[in-house]
Amino acid sequence: MTLTQTTYQDQILASNGFFGPYGGCFVPEVLLPGLSEIADAFEAIKTDETFLAEFRQTLREFSGRPTPLTPLPRLSERLGGAQLFLKNEGLNHTGAHKINHCIGQALLAKRLGKRRIIAETGAGQHGYATAAVCARMGLDCTVYMGRKDYERQRPNVYWMELLGARVVPVEDGTQTLNDAVIAAFKDWVAHPNDTYYLLGSAVGPHPYPAMNTFFQKIVGEEIRRQCLAQAGRLPDVCVACVGGGSNAMGMFFDFLDEESVRLIGVEAGGRGTRSGEHAAKLLQGQAGIFEGYHSYFLQDGDGNIANTHSVSAGLDYCGVSPVLAWLADAGRVEFAVASDAEALEAVQTLARAEGIIPALESAHAFAYAFQLAAELPREAVVAVNASGRGEKDLFITMRHFQEESLIQYAKNLLTI
Amino acid sequence: MLPQLPIMAHLVLGYPTLPESLRTAETYIAAGCAILELQIPFSHPTADGPVITVACQEAVKQGVTVSDCLAAIRALRKKYPEQEIMVMSYLNRIYVYGMYRFFQDLGEMGVGHVIVPDLPVVGPTQSSPPKGAGSSSSSVISSPQGVILSESEESEAEGLKNKIKSRPSASDSSLSLRMIPLEMDKITEMIGPAAKGEEWVRPPLVPVLAANIPDTRLDQLIAAGYDFFYLMSDFKITGSTFSLHPRLREIAGRIKSGNSAARIGIGFGINTPEQIKAVLEVADYAIIGSALIVAQQEGRLENYLENIAHSTTPAV
Ligand SMILES: Cc1ncc(COP(=O)(O)O)c(C=O)c1O
Repeated sequence: MTLTQTTYQDQILASNGFFGPYGGCFVPEVLLPGLSEIADAFEAIKTDETFLAEFRQTLREFSGRPTPLTPLPRLSERLGGAQLFLKNEGLNHTGAHKINHCIGQALLAKRLGKRRIIAETGAGQHGYATAAVCARMGLDCTVYMGRKDYERQRPNVYWMELLGARVVPVEDGTQTLNDAVIAAFKDWVAHPNDTYYLLGSAVGPHPYPAMNTFFQKIVGEEIRRQCLAQAGRLPDVCVACVGGGSNAMGMFFDFLDEESVRLIGVEAGGRGTRSGEHAAKLLQGQAGIFEGYHSYFLQDGDGNIANTHSVSAGLDYCGVSPVLAWLADAGRVEFAVASDAEALEAVQTLARAEGIIPALESAHAFAYAFQLAAELPREAVVAVNASGRGEKDLFITMRHFQEESLIQYAKNLLTI
Repeated sequence: MLPQLPIMAHLVLGYPTLPESLRTAETYIAAGCAILELQIPFSHPTADGPVITVACQEAVKQGVTVSDCLAAIRALRKKYPEQEIMVMSYLNRIYVYGMYRFFQDLGEMGVGHVIVPDLPVVGPTQSSPPKGAGSSSSSVISSPQGVILSESEESEAEGLKNKIKSRPSASDSSLSLRMIPLEMDKITEMIGPAAKGEEWVRPPLVPVLAANIPDTRLDQLIAAGYDFFYLMSDFKITGSTFSLHPRLREIAGRIKSGNSAARIGIGFGINTPEQIKAVLEVADYAIIGSALIVAQQEGRLENYLENIAHSTTPAV
């Protein structure tokens, strides 16, 4: 892909739903009026200063933006290579970047007069952010969550319920994010008129990939400003984990047309390269059309969707943003993997060296960034997106690091 | 031959096994069902309820391939050349098999219609290509890496684009679908122009519509020449409790007055003779899926079909 007159940014913002051959709107006809309504509204708000001002104000007042760009001097010193910077999206209200597109979409839903919001969630961060924003804006909220994620991200289920949302565990299939997405679509088919589907990543049918990228791009915009002020230059490399692609697109968008900035997405390598053991769709997937969009999917070779695995529920998903699929083919974004074990180790490393506990999803980006930084010269600047904070993973990481204490804690809880 | 029942009977190929699903098809034929709807199983049937989802997943578990399904359909066609057959598949299985190859295979075996629930229909439906489209490259379809429309192919699609543009505009509707990328070269191209010099034998797609279809969009589809319309009984997934949305009567009327030859089926949640009767007041066919699978699971398929036959007036 060569850049002629239009830039990557222009192409994404002006997109009619296709990014090169990827994207589209492959859904049952019954959903088209609803999607069309959202696409029209998105088109209108892109340049509506009143809407955008309210969006920015809510990000500031409710979510606490801007989030800091934190230098990691001790780790950088220890690795002996590039200077590492951490974009702390985990300091957002509800603990992750997800709230950026939740605020944007909830404001859009209100503008459309929708009172009922549905969402899917994997790690629970998108559901948690959706529940909080809905409570704040007085919207009815139902969140679908695969049974397996429901059990492994229990703290977030509790928070969502405390915020007044209805959390529905999905018993179908592998009981993870994919099944939650399908359950949410089925709900929407049954309630196409009064319900707004607040989809949680840069995936799905048009306009979600472009729209969530648009609402997330503030992350990269802040990094640009902060990096210029703090390091006196733009980052040489930006690293983000990739589940569906919302935090990666949020970080990358502002730098897409800066040729000097390398952009690297890190996928979940899980516990092996066999099918079902990982969630590396860009590195190991195949083109397909599923859940409304054309992109890369993990599949069985005959058009069935494969199972995935990741220690982090937020990366445990079969598909990836069509925007990233396009940027991958174009060679603009590079991709790497980090395994479950490497991610867990990165959580501990970052916690001990810099006093920050990242979400397991984000830890994949750090695991790779640590390797990369060690190979780069000292003057290089590497920014890593800490898409979320690690508190939600309490029971998962504790099981790995202190299993005995966890068992003891669980027993004690019941006897108190 | 039995009088035909105005029933479109659905089954999942490969459930509980491929040979057994073929025997089920023969049972439907023996009962006089006018149309068979044969679903190619998919791991994640996004618009289906629990009964069909489980049937699909069981079939997938056994490793039933798209090629197996096509071979089964071919065998059935051979044995029952008069039987009307429609094939249903989610898009990804067709896409990975090869869009063009799939439609070509079905066209060659004389399958009348294809239902793809997650592909909103677009474009013309003639069984011969619009002028010029037949000569563009077939590389578009077979590449598993995606559907890439090269510059030279773009002009081939112009004919289609113009044709679509000249149809009634949807902009006067409150739900215009204006921003939805439907009338896209890419989708048309994905379904595929024939390879160089080959005959275009794609069977037409069946639009699957619900009561929220905007009038302007409906008129567009009627004008595009679709000859079979699948209407969802209500805002539901398959196998839900039955209800008939009041607007369907008006939609059916609009289709018939736009194209008196078009046929209409209504499906989703239909089970009892009373429900079939209610549906046939509006449509030509009652489409039955989950209820047949459940009847089969409970070993009362023949009874169920007999019961329907007794309480249903044969189609003329
Ligand atoms: C903290 C965090 N990071 C990353 C992700 C992955 O999603 P995405 O790739 O859309 O950013 C999730 C998803 O739940 C998440 O909670």
